[in-house]
Amino acid sequence: MSEPERDDFYVGYFDQAPSVVGAFVKGKVLLLLVLVAGVAALLALAQGTFAPAVFEFGNVRDFEGVIATKPYPMLRVSRPGESPGEAPTWSRYFLVDPFKFGADERVANLDGKRVRLSGTLVYRDDQTMIEIDASKDIEVLGEAAGGGAGLSFGTVTLVGEIVDSKCFLGVMNPGELKPHKACAVRCVSGGIPPVLVVRDGQGAARYFMLADTNGGQVNDRVLDLIAEPVRIQGEMVRMDNLWVLKADPATYQLVK
Amino acid sequence: MSLNYQAVGWNRQKKIYDRTMVLGVLLYLGLFIGITATTNPTATAETLMIRGFGTAALLLLHIILAIGPLARLNPMFLPLLYNRRHMGVTMFVLALAHAVLAMIQFHAGGDQFPLISLFTSNGDYSSVSQFPFQPLGFFALAILFFMAATSHDFWLANLTAPTWKRLHMMVYVAYFLLIGHVVLGVLQAESSPFLAGVLGLGAAVVWGLHLTSAWLEKADDEEGNGEGFVDVCAVEDIPEKRARIVCLSGERVAVFKYDGKVSAISNVCRHQNGPLGEGKVVDGCVTCPWHGYQYRPHDGASPPPFTEKVPTFRVKVSEGRVLVDPRPLAPGTAVEPAVIAENAAEELSS
Repeated sequence: MSEPERDDFYVGYFDQAPSVVGAFVKGKVLLLLVLVAGVAALLALAQGTFAPAVFEFGNVRDFEGVIATKPYPMLRVSRPGESPGEAPTWSRYFLVDPFKFGADERVANLDGKRVRLSGTLVYRDDQTMIEIDASKDIEVLGEAAGGGAGLSFGTVTLVGEIVDSKCFLGVMNPGELKPHKACAVRCVSGGIPPVLVVRDGQGAARYFMLADTNGGQVNDRVLDLIAEPVRIQGEMVRMDNLWVLKADPATYQLVK
Repeated sequence: MSLNYQAVGWNRQKKIYDRTMVLGVLLYLGLFIGITATTNPTATAETLMIRGFGTAALLLLHIILAIGPLARLNPMFLPLLYNRRHMGVTMFVLALAHAVLAMIQFHAGGDQFPLISLFTSNGDYSSVSQFPFQPLGFFALAILFFMAATSHDFWLANLTAPTWKRLHMMVYVAYFLLIGHVVLGVLQAESSPFLAGVLGLGAAVVWGLHLTSAWLEKADDEEGNGEGFVDVCAVEDIPEKRARIVCLSGERVAVFKYDGKVSAISNVCRHQNGPLGEGKVVDGCVTCPWHGYQYRPHDGASPPPFTEKVPTFRVKVSEGRVLVDPRPLAPGTAVEPAVIAENAAEELSS
């Protein structure tokens, strides 16, 4: 084909594009690449800040403590060097299974037992969780005194978001709000402790494990309310360093 | 042009196209993931990839949708359209990576089969603000899958161009589903106005280009109706080896002038329904601007060994005017080209 016939007419299967077309497209593609880089930077920087939540994936540690199964599986660990007085002398770590399952079955017969177990830490703010290493047995070391039902602080009304504690504390980040709703439903449905996250005016979070008025689990009764603002009136109870909010899930109110 | 099929009919232009596209994708992913990981050390690798692949796919979809109208507004953009199918398949692969990782992250490892969980874990289908956004992404991905799977010319030939075109026009349905996926999903949690702003700007660019090109195309249509030959334009209105597109009885006809003659064929390429009238007579054949499919102007047939044919129209030239019979002839029907009278040619050249 003669060059004059082609002038500025581009035919893709010819090796060489017409020079005027080639120069035009090169310029526009370079501009497009700059635009792509700009959009990448803008979107990356415009995202909300990720929470300081950590899942020590791949780092399995050993823990010793006392199992508490109510309202959700926890490991009570004594605080070394804690002075006697008002401050709690025990810390409670949530216990969960791998993936999206709670540890109820695994620790069902271990309430009040001193144990050694292996797992991976998940933590955010003053909350800590252990994802139990399912490949290792939990070693029973002996009996221990129970943690009790906790100390009541009376009735309170709190507004916050119900999250699945495992993702929120760090297994996924971010592990809250609507983009995470489906996952949170799956986790809570699988037995992960549901927690009410209440933020103060400065955005600092306070955490309340949700239990019914009898101190029982509420997982199946809060699935429709996850990841939405809710108002809950109930009894605030302290269990060592953790807070529990006891209320009938039927009384939870969506905040419109 | 399609004589036989191979996975990819590579040529130099396609290789340049694909290399540049991959460079662009890597540039985007590298910058997005690198900046996010640097500014947010606690972001998990899965989240980085889910967001990186998802935003890259959406950006690429906007680029893909902009190329069509850009090429109509300025034919110099046609090289971007030439291998756009590879861009579409790349976009699907990015969207698939985003979807697979999101399914693993949000739905796998639980007490329900992940695909069921996708549709049931958030059951607020009657709510606007809480409407489940993930199924929207699923349906968009399904459309993109069918498009990617049928992107090869084999499917184009077997489904026929109109059916194939209709299937691939579903990209606009996928686009709206994905906008819903983003607006009802991540934008419900992110407070930065820049994110919504970028999405709005992208929509404005895509639809602004579409509306502008459609409006100009409509304005350019020469309308003609009725029985017998229709006066469509003056001979001098048609550039040499180029065409004038006229709309006759609802069908676009490309009227070409070349070598002192005028011929009229359907404006619709048999390959992907490309606008033949925006092409050029190259080596004696009308050449489609999209992918270079060729047809002889006098009978609308591709030169051997190729077999594509388009309808032709009777045409004549009288007193410097071009007249076209609006009734299409069967594809491949030979029609004697109208010869431009000597004096008219002299008038034109003077």
